[in-house]
Amino acid sequence: MKENIEQRVIGLFVLMLGILAFVAVSAVRNIQQSIKDSDWVNHTHAVIIDVSEVLSYLHAGDSALRNYVLTGDKRDQGAYRGAYSTMVERLDDAKALTRSGAEEAGIQLQIVGLQNLISNRIDIARSIVKAREQGGLEAARRLFLTNPDLDSMVTIERAANRLVGDENKLLTARDKAEHLQAQGTKLSVYSGVAVNFMLLAFVFWLLRDDLKARRQAAKALEDANAQLEAKVQERTAELVKANQALKQENLERRWSYQALEHQMRYNQLIINSIVEMVFVVSRALNISRVNPAVVHQTSWNPQDLVAHSIERVLQLPLETEAGAPQNPLIIAMRDGREIQEQPAVLISRSGKTTPVQYSLIPLHDQDKVVGGVVTVRPRNGASPEHQQ
Amino acid sequence: MKKHILSIDDEADIRELLQEALTMRGYRVSTAADAETAKRIVQQDPPDLIIMDFQIEDGDGLVLIEDIRQAGRDIPILLLTGAVFDSDVVRETIEKKVSRYLDKTASLSQIVTEVEKLLGQAPRS
Repeated sequence: MKENIEQRVIGLFVLMLGILAFVAVSAVRNIQQSIKDSDWVNHTHAVIIDVSEVLSYLHAGDSALRNYVLTGDKRDQGAYRGAYSTMVERLDDAKALTRSGAEEAGIQLQIVGLQNLISNRIDIARSIVKAREQGGLEAARRLFLTNPDLDSMVTIERAANRLVGDENKLLTARDKAEHLQAQGTKLSVYSGVAVNFMLLAFVFWLLRDDLKARRQAAKALEDANAQLEAKVQERTAELVKANQALKQENLERRWSYQALEHQMRYNQLIINSIVEMVFVVSRALNISRVNPAVVHQTSWNPQDLVAHSIERVLQLPLETEAGAPQNPLIIAMRDGREIQEQPAVLISRSGKTTPVQYSLIPLHDQDKVVGGVVTVRPRNGASPEHQQ
Repeated sequence: MKKHILSIDDEADIRELLQEALTMRGYRVSTAADAETAKRIVQQDPPDLIIMDFQIEDGDGLVLIEDIRQAGRDIPILLLTGAVFDSDVVRETIEKKVSRYLDKTASLSQIVTEVEKLLGQAPRS
């Protein structure tokens, strides 16, 4: 979309540039043509003026010639010569001015024809002057009468007027052509400017549309960023909260562990400091734990006793139940009752026996008995060293 | 201004854990392992609450409580210990000397709740 608009805008600007170039070239060509036409018009007018002056000087020369013939005054002779000379110069100028250009070839021919007529006229004038100088007024009068002076003058005037008329026609045709060309140039300039303005308006419309689309896209991006930011903040807050909860949980766990460990150590200290022998047994009378007093008084190591029956270290008088002898600890634990201060015999590792008293506290875990704690202490006055 | 809590316990792990948990809650926590340090802190920077164990490095917690009371400090005390098990004994003896009693097996959240309660109420005379 963006590239498409850029390409369109570039294309339109190239088109506008092309139109501007065309208009500029057209205008320059028109100006050049106008300069050329202006030059042509100027020299055409100069030709017309020259031809008109040719007639004027011809008449002036003729008049001076007549005066000379009548008076023989040298000043009149000089005047006629001067007028004729200027006339010839003007004709030469006109010829020179019409030398270039195909459209003036006809004019050039007419000037040549006019030159011939004037040349004849000058020849006649010379012969009259010569006759006046040699034969006097009468000879000159005769020569005047024998030459068709009037016809020659009329022919020259007609030729000159025709030439001027043709030049005027050319001027008119050139004016028309120039006018048409100016109109065409004006039309091309106006059209080019109008088209360029339309193209500019189109470019403006395209850019405005593009800017609008860009603004909308920027706004959408801004909104998306704001939403993302909000989500990130929300997520961060959740993570912070979760992290806090995790830290709290971790602390709680460490605290529980520490508290439990402390409690166990404290309990262990209490048990270890009891002077009486303590056996923790299962319902099947297997030992799971003993206190240091047991080790001290029987020389058994804990590993010699743990997982063995308490009967290995403690002999109890059996009870009869349903006609069969039974260990009183098993019966008491089955019934969930305590035994207090009953006689028994302690067997040390060396095999020595000592009369002792034992007690049993069944261990209740919820509704059932899972084992028991047997405490043993020597009977009053008895010791392993003195009893077998 | 942050409330100041003094934690007295002979076990470094317990002190550190309590300090961490209470600092997270926005309290300023000082710690002491022995009675001398505890008494010095109470003298120089009186706390708003004391959390302590019976067992301290150079003495007895109950004696320390008596010393603090005799020094005229009406600071609420939360006793945190695993040494006493009988609730009747606790009610009849210890609770008369301290503001609250909690077993060390109580959870941290329970301890923090008690702390918040104690700091929100008037000190016990």
